[in-house]
Amino acid sequence: MSPAPDPRSGVNSVKFDELTKIPKVIGVGLVTNDGFIIESQFTVGYDAEKSGAMAARVVSRIKQSLNIEKASAILYTQNSVFFVKETEGGIFFVICQRDANIGLVKINIDKIT
Amino acid sequence: MSDELSMSSGALIFATLADVYLSSGMIDEAISILKDGLMRNPTYTLAKIILGRAYYIKGDIKEAINVLEQAYEEAKDSEEENLYLGHCYRKLGEYDKAMMFYEATLKINPENKEAKQELASLEAEMVSPKFGEIELGEERVEAEVEPKEQVAVPKAEAEIKPEVEEAVKPEEQVEVPKAEVTPEAKVEVPKVEVRPEEKVEEPRVDIRPEEQVEPPKAEVIPEVRVEEVEVKPVEMIEVVEEKAAEVTAVTPMPLESIQEPINRLLTIKTVKGVFISSKDGLLIQNYYKERTDIEEICAFIAAICNEADDSFKFLKAGPLTRCIIEKTDETICVVTAGDALLTVITEPEAKPGLIFVYARKIIEEIQEILR
Repeated sequence: MSPAPDPRSGVNSVKFDELTKIPKVIGVGLVTNDGFIIESQFTVGYDAEKSGAMAARVVSRIKQSLNIEKASAILYTQNSVFFVKETEGGIFFVICQRDANIGLVKINIDKIT
Repeated sequence: MSDELSMSSGALIFATLADVYLSSGMIDEAISILKDGLMRNPTYTLAKIILGRAYYIKGDIKEAINVLEQAYEEAKDSEEENLYLGHCYRKLGEYDKAMMFYEATLKINPENKEAKQELASLEAEMVSPKFGEIELGEERVEAEVEPKEQVAVPKAEAEIKPEVEEAVKPEEQVEVPKAEVTPEAKVEVPKVEVRPEEKVEEPRVDIRPEEQVEPPKAEVIPEVRVEEVEVKPVEMIEVVEEKAAEVTAVTPMPLESIQEPINRLLTIKTVKGVFISSKDGLLIQNYYKERTDIEEICAFIAAICNEADDSFKFLKAGPLTRCIIEKTDETICVVTAGDALLTVITEPEAKPGLIFVYARKIIEEIQEILR
């Protein structure tokens, strides 16, 4: 039985599955602007709390610096790629390995949010 | 774009993609795409030319010539075809062919700077080795000149001297070369003149009774050509020195070397502007003149990147390498290059993947400069 949809964001576990089933996607989550986790699906061994806090911090900085209403960014590091996107219900974020299908992940994020 | 390619490589976009790869230094990827595309579209001449160029850049000159020659019939009027054939033959040391192709390039486009430069430098190169030849010749002559041995054979001297003296007489020397004086002959002149005493002694060298006649004749020839052209080599040296001075003067400033890849990036329709800043947020170079608040943006971009970098360190995810920030009216693509940040501001519909491919070359240059 699928979980009840989040009334604010429209993002739920079923939709998270669409992302986590993509190879090399490490985790998906939704956090408040303060960085508290609303919902997350992560591979074992990865800290969703830390990742969520980081997503909130980056989004906050982007909004503050560039005066954007709804921030959205893709951040590449040496090993991973982070997607952060502000939605009605909170900050949606995805973490995947560097060699994941970034295009497909992006399309799915846009579809979900 | 790669996905697009795999779906429709029959649409001939592979050549464009390969060209982009080549511009970014991804030579093997370009060759692979072109070979694959040409298997499906063997008559696509442009792709052959690009493949030839790719092989040339890779250093596989023979394969480059092979591909370019195959395409030559259909691409006789192609500027690039002729230019790269010129480059290839030049690399192989076949200067005549190289010059022919450079000239063909200039016939197609008289403004082609690369062909002009190559042709000029080829002409200079074709002249300069003669200096070396002369020096070798002179060394050879000097080695042969051993006065002590000469004394041992007085008879030989007697026979040869008249010929030598004739050769040295200026009036007679002038008659012969006038019609025949070639640039090479000009070059040979001055060094011979510098040591007149040695010239006269030359015929005395190594003379054995049987060989008396032949050696002096061979050595007289360069002297005969001498008089007419005395000053020319000095002029050539001056020209070479001038060129060297020009080269020194034209040596680009560090950031000028990224001007070309930046210009290529700016030719993408969706790119609004580019700027380079330090990680501290200080502007290094601005290619987005329309915008007046560029220094502020630099500071903000640097702040965002530093914040993200710190966060990623905390997550042990490695340092930030790239960042795409999507706004409603524009997209900001940032690439880190050592202690610098290359920021490209584009329309929202721009393809960041393509931007990063173009940016790669610039990043390499910046890293080289900052190293």
